Amino acid sequence: MTALTRQDIGRLLARQGILFAFVAFMVAFTLANGRFLAPDNVMGVIRSSAILGVMALGVTFVVISGNLDLSVGSMMSFSTIVVLDLHDKIGPALAIPAMFALTMCLGALIGFLVGYLRLNSLIVTLGMLSAIYGLTLTWSGGKNMDIADKAGTWFGVFGQSSVLGVPVPILMFGGLAVVLAFMLAKTPFGRKVYAVGGNGVAATFSGIPRARIVFLCYVLSSFCVATAGLMQASRSMGSQNTVGQGLELSVLAAVILGGASLMGGSGTIFKTVIGVLILGFIQNGLLLVGLQFYVQYVVTWVIIILAVWLDIAVKRGRLWSPIA
Amino acid sequence: MKFRTLLTTTAAVAAMSAAGAVSAEAMKIGITQNNVGVDSYQTTYEKAFIAAAEANADIDAIVLDAGGDVARQIAQVEDLIQQEVDAIIIWPTNGEAVIPAVRKAHSAGIPVIVTNSNIAEAGFDFVRSFSGPDNITQGARSAEIMCEKFTQMGIADTAQVVQISGQPGYTTAIERQKGFDDRLPEVCPNVTVVETQPGDWNREKSQKVMEAFLVKYDKIDGVYSGDDNMGVGALNAAKAAGRDGIIFVGATNFAVGYEAMAAGDYWGSIYQSPVDDAEAALKTAIDVLNGVDVPFLNYFDTPKITQDNMGDYTKPVF
Repeated sequence: MTALTRQDIGRLLARQGILFAFVAFMVAFTLANGRFLAPDNVMGVIRSSAILGVMALGVTFVVISGNLDLSVGSMMSFSTIVVLDLHDKIGPALAIPAMFALTMCLGALIGFLVGYLRLNSLIVTLGMLSAIYGLTLTWSGGKNMDIADKAGTWFGVFGQSSVLGVPVPILMFGGLAVVLAFMLAKTPFGRKVYAVGGNGVAATFSGIPRARIVFLCYVLSSFCVATAGLMQASRSMGSQNTVGQGLELSVLAAVILGGASLMGGSGTIFKTVIGVLILGFIQNGLLLVGLQFYVQYVVTWVIIILAVWLDIAVKRGRLWSPIA
Repeated sequence: MKFRTLLTTTAAVAAMSAAGAVSAEAMKIGITQNNVGVDSYQTTYEKAFIAAAEANADIDAIVLDAGGDVARQIAQVEDLIQQEVDAIIIWPTNGEAVIPAVRKAHSAGIPVIVTNSNIAEAGFDFVRSFSGPDNITQGARSAEIMCEKFTQMGIADTAQVVQISGQPGYTTAIERQKGFDDRLPEVCPNVTVVETQPGDWNREKSQKVMEAFLVKYDKIDGVYSGDDNMGVGALNAAKAAGRDGIIFVGATNFAVGYEAMAAGDYWGSIYQSPVDDAEAALKTAIDVLNGVDVPFLNYFDTPKITQDNMGDYTKPVF
């Protein structure tokens, strides 16, 4: 009458390998520094991972649909700068929707180019990375953007306040993760995203409008980026033009770490969240251990490779598996 | 990955208009900047440089921007040599990689003035003068500001400090850290720097680093940041964690740092004006061309600014 047979455990491991890798690192870091799992530290890490996390949620859709998005970091800088600038010009209540609209226009443009003109997503979004950066600099004139009256605005709620002891960025990240996980796993749209990325030809023959699905994935991704920009702007009430620079690679690392295939067709929101948390806790853990900085880059890489290897090895049921 | 072609074009167009009328005996001075538009300091620097050049009828300035790209900067130096300018001012994108270009200008008999951040020592022979801030002195002065405050508070024997440095490998970051680390034990021998981690000149990154410090250390009396942008990030982290009474000292006083000082949250910094920086570079070039004896390291002064004397300084524009 044992609830779990050997096969059950094997199957569970195979499906959730990355989760076990995550637990293994958490234990290792906790042994290295007892404060690692202190509630305020855990809360702090999740809160600062939330911005990256929200972006990774959107990119998960794009990656599952078989495409890439390298423009999200640059786009996040754009939305942060735009909402901060508009805040002082037209007030927060109008600035936020205006920023969302502008950012989603960028997403729609990418979606149009990739979906309807069938251009390679790597090339389109790599180009957009620099184009949007230029757009941001043109908007700001290169200057840092700061809210003039930081005390007299409610704009800080998205980044700084808490509800029942839980910081709002975590609630936004969690809420969005739940909604998008449902959308991906349980709705026709979600299943079409998997279909388009898994086997595009079969999807077409099944009557799935591939172009529209890809287009919508990019719009959804830009919505997530706008949300991240809002959280970022609200958190620091001011920003450099380069605030999101380089985040596109961290986002992609988190999504891939979560096990989504770069070829499309696989991945889940839950695993992406785990990927985001692994990256966040590695960064924080290495700081707490107090490792010399230059070594941290290398160690971060080693840990990511270890996690991916553990994940794959558990799935295959063996550690050693050369290309046959 | 830097695709900033757009900037160069706009800067070049600005340069054409800035050049204005060329008189026969005008000094033709070319400048190639690091990366205008990437931050407010560089943007303000460029505006100030163009304004100073326009205000002087004897100057015919060619203002270029490398957009952070070493290859483009080298090409720009070669262009300036082709145009037979009288002097070249360079804000290096990379202290090592631009040396061959600087040597080429030197061989062509064109004096080179390095501005803001110096090139590597191997290239010193080809440079007439370096005009910029003395980052080691800045770090030392930040140490003094912090020590004076601790002494005033009576905690100079017990205080613990954390340091958030600039981008690793960046000369300014290394020099400020060195200045601070060397000077602090001289003025306040009992203050300990418990840990140093880089904030990469980035407010958000610095906030994360400070959050980790706050978890790790129960007792933090002071934070030294390599610039105010990072300092304000650290301040935000301390505020969010409810840790009061920490003395924040930075460098390169930014508008946000100035405001935080005015609000009483941030103790002090180093006042470094991009306008002074730009004007000093132009003046150094003019002096070199006029045969005035210019020291190799031609620093412009960057004074201490604290809550006590901030009234003497206008709020930074960046």
